[in-house]
Amino acid sequence: MTKRLIYADHAATTPLSDAAWEAMVPFLRDDFGNPSSLHSWAKKPKAAIVEARETIAKCIGAEADEIYFTSGGTEANNWVINGSTGGLMISSYEHHSILNSAENARKKGRKVSFVNPSPNGSILTRNISRSWLDGVGLVSVMTANNEIGVINPIKGLVDYVHKQGVLFHTDSVQSIGHIPIDVREMGVDFLSASAHKFNGPKGVGFLYMRKGLSLKPLIFGGQQEQGVRAGTENVAAIVGMAAALKSNCDEMERNIRHLNLLASQLKAGLEELCNGVYFFGSKSELQLPGFVSASFPGRSSEGIVHIMDLKGVAISAGAACDSKNMQLSHVLKAVKLPRKYAEGTVRITLGIENTDEDVKMILNAFKVALR
Amino acid sequence: MLNDYDVCSFCDRVLTKDEQGLNKKILEGDARRGLCRCLSCMAEYLECEEEELRDKIEEFKSEGCKLFS
Repeated sequence: MTKRLIYADHAATTPLSDAAWEAMVPFLRDDFGNPSSLHSWAKKPKAAIVEARETIAKCIGAEADEIYFTSGGTEANNWVINGSTGGLMISSYEHHSILNSAENARKKGRKVSFVNPSPNGSILTRNISRSWLDGVGLVSVMTANNEIGVINPIKGLVDYVHKQGVLFHTDSVQSIGHIPIDVREMGVDFLSASAHKFNGPKGVGFLYMRKGLSLKPLIFGGQQEQGVRAGTENVAAIVGMAAALKSNCDEMERNIRHLNLLASQLKAGLEELCNGVYFFGSKSELQLPGFVSASFPGRSSEGIVHIMDLKGVAISAGAACDSKNMQLSHVLKAVKLPRKYAEGTVRITLGIENTDEDVKMILNAFKVALR
Repeated sequence: MLNDYDVCSFCDRVLTKDEQGLNKKILEGDARRGLCRCLSCMAEYLECEEEELRDKIEEFKSEGCKLFS
């Protein structure tokens, strides 16, 4: 009998939606023209890119000419950090595409400072001292953290940072397509996104840049993307990204209800299985739908993940061992989770295709993994 | 003299280096307490096939984990 496999690692990547696939197919083969060409083969791809840009802009409350296509979230994040000027202030639990870009900027002489999250996992205005903003040109705080799923109060942070005359970027890679995102309401100046996190294809993303702002280009060449991001457009991927985002946004309310219900069933089941299990987002802080960050004191997250894998369930670990020691993720270190809990932290991230039956099977697998 | 990592605590079979590594890797808590299993006893405990455990060993080896031969 074939073992049933359950994918519960949607924060790592998501399956391609039907809407995305169907939108992409014509551009993978038949409509292969280069959108920049002057002949008629360019027409369809060019029109498709215009439409995709408008669709994406509409999904996040932006205007079409504020959307710049990139190769993914990593490029968008690199672009903002490397293309901005002045000092940088970033949260200490950002994705490595922000952290390592900032480190590169520091080596080139830019001042870089860090904001630490509160123990509940959120970055709050009170975590940012006004004096720290002296000389800072850009603050970057992720919309929701990719390991613990806690959603940050971005609007409040933006208001505070703008009062000091500083620009604000948010990495929304983990959030967009899963929770409502409106750039005007949030007030952000820059926002990064990656398609494969919201049921789109891999290798494509976008940067929102508020009208009137500019960044130094990261990639030089042709005049694509209003002359600031060179390279022939990945038409199929761009079209797939727009279709995936639209589909997720159209179904968002229903998806959130479904995922919150599954997550609460999962948490209740895990509480029954393990006395003392700790969940990020179990109190007042907001958390991404379907996101369960569970810490099992005294257990090894790596061991749990491998046993779950043997049982056909894909989840991920917050700690992994090298040849000698257990290495905690920078996120769990930043939120100062006690080592006993951090070493046993796993991330279970449910997706829209998961069902009640999947949750039962995940809990059955945990029964074995937590013996 | 054999130590706790050398024999299966349930059937007394002498463990290979790969079996010892697998105990440390996925059943670290038990291994730390000196409770180790051969592939057969581990498969029974985890309700999986021995072949799946062998695949795991190969996976760890390909990642360069030094716990394996």
